[in-house]
Amino acid sequence: MKTIHIFILFIIVAVAQIAVPAQMIFNRESILNSGMAYKFKTEPVDPTDPFKGKYIILNYELDHIKMTNNNWQRNQEIYVSITNDSLGFAKATSVSIEQPELGSFVSAKVEWYSERDSILRFTLPFNEFYMDEYKAYDAEVAHRDAQRDSLPNNTYALVYVKEGEAVLDNVFINDIPIAKFVEQ
Amino acid sequence: MNSKLINELSDLVNNDIISQEVASKIEEYYHSKQQNTPNKLFTVFGVLGSLLVGLGIILILAHNWDDFARTTKTIFAFLPLVIGQCFVAFSILKRKSNTWKEASGTFLFFAIGSSIALVSQIYNIPGNLSTYVLTWIVLSLPLVYLLKSNSVAILNIICITYYAFEVGYGFATFNQAPWLYLVLIALLIPHYLQLLKHKNTSNITSIFNWLFPLSFTIVLGAFVDHLSELGFLMYLLLFSLFYNLGKTPLFENQKLRRNGYLIFGSLGIVIMILTMSFDSFWYLEQFFLNAQESYVSIVLFITNLGLLAYLYSKRWIKGFNVFQHLFILFTILYIFGLNIPVFGTIIVNLIVLALGITTIKIGADKFHFGILNYGLLIITALVVCRFFDTNMSFVIRGLLFVSVGLGFFFTNYIMLKKQKSKVESLKTNS
Repeated sequence: MKTIHIFILFIIVAVAQIAVPAQMIFNRESILNSGMAYKFKTEPVDPTDPFKGKYIILNYELDHIKMTNNNWQRNQEIYVSITNDSLGFAKATSVSIEQPELGSFVSAKVEWYSERDSILRFTLPFNEFYMDEYKAYDAEVAHRDAQRDSLPNNTYALVYVKEGEAVLDNVFINDIPIAKFVEQ
Repeated sequence: MNSKLINELSDLVNNDIISQEVASKIEEYYHSKQQNTPNKLFTVFGVLGSLLVGLGIILILAHNWDDFARTTKTIFAFLPLVIGQCFVAFSILKRKSNTWKEASGTFLFFAIGSSIALVSQIYNIPGNLSTYVLTWIVLSLPLVYLLKSNSVAILNIICITYYAFEVGYGFATFNQAPWLYLVLIALLIPHYLQLLKHKNTSNITSIFNWLFPLSFTIVLGAFVDHLSELGFLMYLLLFSLFYNLGKTPLFENQKLRRNGYLIFGSLGIVIMILTMSFDSFWYLEQFFLNAQESYVSIVLFITNLGLLAYLYSKRWIKGFNVFQHLFILFTILYIFGLNIPVFGTIIVNLIVLALGITTIKIGADKFHFGILNYGLLIITALVVCRFFDTNMSFVIRGLLFVSVGLGFFFTNYIMLKKQKSKVESLKTNS
């Protein structure tokens, strides 16, 4: 093959190499700009990813719903319709396999279904929040301390939601961004 | 090695083995040969440098610099990628040497990984490791062919194997067979074939000769779903395939240490079969025909059979070698013998013995002390295994050990003697 042909092919590959992360960015930016913001009550725990660094895993309080229908499979993709409760935090209104046409909803995965008390447990996908490597563990500790001295649960995640896709924007303890809270 | 030979030349001339004229001719030949080959060391260091810089960048970015604004971080995500692409574009356009291509390709490979990782980090994009590695592979694999880069190919094999490992054995994706692995590894085969065709004896090819069987050996287990007993058969068939591949002239005519297939195959077969020589192994469950494992086994068996038939049709098989035909006997045994422990155990023990003797014979024929003693080791291993699970009296066991020990002495001694007489006969002839 001639050099120029190889070069043209390389340009195509290079464009793809840039396009993939760029597309990831545009997708998220559009959700952040035009999506609805919801607050999800949560608890942080910190693990590590070899490539992406330290992050905190968010265990959401919103992880179950009462359902009479018992036909669920583990890891099944579902849509959870959400709305704000009286305190301004997100709560689940219903769960469906088909994408709902109205209202805000997020995609989630089925954990398990308890026949006894007819509760469906699921995991929300936006449960990783990346932090400065020195702050991730402190964040977990800070949450634990904040838990002790004030309201029952004052840690929440701010999530932007648009057409079933969600972007985790920030995590707050007592309405202060977690990274700032840790520094204090 | 060449320099060693050149150092010896003066000694040879002094002792009147060769004339001064011949010595200078030899020296000239090696010098001209050296000038024609590019500096390999330079390439190795170039690749090593890019590898370390690339990994370093990933680590630095993984710190999570949350003092920077989102835009600044995004620019940092693309910076290494664009720099890497510029280097690669430069080495393609200017037709730079291999050193350039390998080094820039390696750097770009890591830049791709770091940019996806950083973007996921900035936007808190969740996702398991396997999807991340898969994106990385897909974006970097074309570089193998555009740059004809061996280092990128090696990195890709590692990533692909890692991907299959994550999918197959990982916690997140429980019990999934990594079928995509087959497609990805097949995409690298053309590069490997090119190497085998044009650079058959070079060191880089022998690295691939080891990496491919290693990768297959690691990944095959991921295709075992719940019929773990068939897993043994699958691995035996795979090792048999390696062995027969290693017996094709393409690999057989090379040095043994370059023939990863043969060594992997031989060691694998022996280990598998020794495991099965235990009595308890054969008290096993049933055999299901329509399971993923059965299909994989059938495909492996047919490939084995095809390869063996090909070897025969090309007349590449000289004399009967148990290793090469073992899989047929074994598959039959496996299907029919699973619930007849006595039958299975006895035959398998005989097979191990036959393998040991075959190996000793190959070693003796080739005058290779390594292979000869490997054969003896197989028999020793068999005896040691039987030491644990038979009700033989201690006297018989003791005698067995003594006889195998004596076997070591005598076979080596006879070989040494033979070798000496051969050297002497050479001397008298000349």
